[in-house]
Amino acid sequence: MQIKYGLISCDSHAQPHKDAFTSRMSKAKWGDAIPYLQETTDKAHMAVVMDHPVERWMINGQVVGNRGVVNCPTVMNDPMRKYFPQYWGEVPSYVYDPTDRLSALDKDGVDGEVLFPNDPVQSGTFFQGNADFELDCVRAYNDAIAEWREVSDRYVPLAVIPYMGGIDVTVAEVQRAVKKGHKGIVMLVEPSQNLEGLKHFNDPYWDPLWATCQELNAPIHWHAGGGLRLTMPRWSGYTRNQEQAMGPAGGFSVQAQFIPNLIFSGVLDRYPRLKWVCAETGLGWVNYILEGCDHEWERRHLWTEGIVTRPSELFRRQIYVDFWYETAGIQQRHNIGIENIMWESDYPHSTSTYPESWQFVNRTLAGVPENEKKQLLYGNAMRVYGL
Amino acid sequence: MATPCEYTAYSVGMGERVEVQLPLPRGRGQEACFEHGERTVELKYGLISVDDHVQEHPEVWTQRLSRERWGDRIPYIATQPDGTECWMVDGAKLPMAGVASAGAAMSDRTREPQRWSEVPKVVYDPTARLQAMDVDGVDASVLYPTVAGLAGETFGRLTDPELELACVQAYNDWLIEEWVSASPRFIPQCIVPIFPVEATVQEIQRAVKKGHKGVIFPAIPMHLRDVPHINEPVYDPLWATCQDLAVPICFHAGSSTRVQFPAYKDLSPGLAAALSALTRPVSSVQVVANFLYSRILIRYPTLKVVFAESSLAWGAYELETADHQFERQRLHLEGYDMKPSEMFHRQCYMTGWYDRSAIEARQYLGVDNILWETNFPQATSTWPTTRDRIAQSFQGVPEDEGAKMLWGNAAKLYKL
Repeated sequence: MQIKYGLISCDSHAQPHKDAFTSRMSKAKWGDAIPYLQETTDKAHMAVVMDHPVERWMINGQVVGNRGVVNCPTVMNDPMRKYFPQYWGEVPSYVYDPTDRLSALDKDGVDGEVLFPNDPVQSGTFFQGNADFELDCVRAYNDAIAEWREVSDRYVPLAVIPYMGGIDVTVAEVQRAVKKGHKGIVMLVEPSQNLEGLKHFNDPYWDPLWATCQELNAPIHWHAGGGLRLTMPRWSGYTRNQEQAMGPAGGFSVQAQFIPNLIFSGVLDRYPRLKWVCAETGLGWVNYILEGCDHEWERRHLWTEGIVTRPSELFRRQIYVDFWYETAGIQQRHNIGIENIMWESDYPHSTSTYPESWQFVNRTLAGVPENEKKQLLYGNAMRVYGL
Repeated sequence: MATPCEYTAYSVGMGERVEVQLPLPRGRGQEACFEHGERTVELKYGLISVDDHVQEHPEVWTQRLSRERWGDRIPYIATQPDGTECWMVDGAKLPMAGVASAGAAMSDRTREPQRWSEVPKVVYDPTARLQAMDVDGVDASVLYPTVAGLAGETFGRLTDPELELACVQAYNDWLIEEWVSASPRFIPQCIVPIFPVEATVQEIQRAVKKGHKGVIFPAIPMHLRDVPHINEPVYDPLWATCQDLAVPICFHAGSSTRVQFPAYKDLSPGLAAALSALTRPVSSVQVVANFLYSRILIRYPTLKVVFAESSLAWGAYELETADHQFERQRLHLEGYDMKPSEMFHRQCYMTGWYDRSAIEARQYLGVDNILWETNFPQATSTWPTTRDRIAQSFQGVPEDEGAKMLWGNAAKLYKL
């Protein structure tokens, strides 16, 4: 990848075309189960009720996502940054068309972007049918996004993985996807919480996947809460706005819990060259993990229980975190590890810095030396993804 | 509160920001001291630990609850088929790693005692505890329970409100009778029945009259049994009572395992305990976020809230994110007069025991909003080397700021 602006977003969301699945999956085999956009007037399918028909993603008879067809409020010219397009015709092509999207990157002064999924791929899964159906959906998505890299090497695509067909199927799909151009995988934080019968993250069942990703030098990505819900019950007294405000302010609790589990699982010691990227994390709380894990490791002599390397060293060796707007975390960058921090725009979600990413960058990194800025804004990303 | 001591004369109006030089104690003759009931406590070491745990002994409840009325539903220690012992409450085994929670005082910190005979005296005997505090340089200790729940949650799970109340009152009485009577260096806090709120309020009034100085409440009561969401106005008398009596309401981390990462079944006991020590404090993130948006702090502007065993390192991010989201969602248009960080600085406290970076970046949480604890006798405790840890954590911090965080804020909060 050529660096022109000096900025790589390590968490952006690729919107597959509305025909991405129907054009790749067998109609004879799956019929209407294939993910597609269907028109509906059913108010139950609308987070905000509209008095006109809307489109919704339909997967195997189930509506997926009741807010709209694409999560892209940052490009919808809504000053409140809340509007989700309700039908495909409203969606700007620079969200789903890889050629047009390059102009959005240029507008925002971004050289390249690491691509996480967008609608209808939630938490990277297709659990609405059987294992065969899941695999075909996963392959269709991975094939569609792999084509983006053929359009431009400014895209760094990440594959989603199948879970239901056994570990061999998972591993085979990772190998296939990486061969097609994917640079890493996105997975659930704690699969056993998402689908009954799946193994806990710590279970040796997953070892072949860790081994494969290490061998292929394909980092494993967890996005935000990674599909894990550890939440207080909702309060009916909150407005929608207040509830959305609560989300991120309470949400990092989940990340601050699964990273310690990764550290204490022993997986990092067993696969010392495997990289883990935790996207949309923020930085300001990361010292909690480093100080807390080190403290417990010392107090409880955890090297006697299989964690032979100091947790903060494991973190700096193998774990990466992202930032986009904060200042407290940047002040703490040397405690966290200057080589473990990457920037993200989260394009095209509502929290995104698009189209004024450089304003945020300049405010957040004011006073940071040039060489460190380069590392944070694109240098670390180039190293992690071998760009 | 009249006292000849230098630092108790220091008093600041609610919400004011006043820079006060707080001297650290410098040895005999110059010691500060604080009042406690009738007696006065010397500030010898310069540390008030705001979160330690008493270990309830085997007879706390059996001595105080009617055997005739409650039978085997009374909390007691039972022997299991393999010879180990466990606590039984209302006929069900309490999910504790041992018969006591005493890791810091065990010769092997990763092991909890499995029989009462193995439990170190220092965790359940007040006189022995005072010695342990001297060893570690702790002047006074704010007390939380163990069997009654690290966050006071055990009896909230009971479905019989009368048994809940009886168990709660026995604990509250016992703490005054056996611990506070032994020394004014113990700062007692009451536990409460979680619902109905009339019972909660009555018990707070009774307990505070007896000498309790804080109120422990499980932060997510609706995870314990079928009670209304904590933000519902039905709880208002609880907040009002704490505000009126000027006792802090204390939410200790870990009141609900449902907001903690589910540990793998085959994780070794040491690693499982370490993981829980990491997932527990940070599970308070949502509790803090909820409080900052719930409007409770707006309705009760002088209520003081302690997030015990929160640790500190995530606090700056919490406040920065809460403010960022407040602005992004335009909440000033929805009846919020203050930003979340402003409410926090006016009314809330977080507590640390090993934190370093948050002390370095203390301006975010606020020097007036940070409290220190030793977390004795949990395995995570800094005991018996708390002084070393404080020296590392507070390196380069001006003396007056250090004094506030280590004892000044606590003395003011608990009106000592």
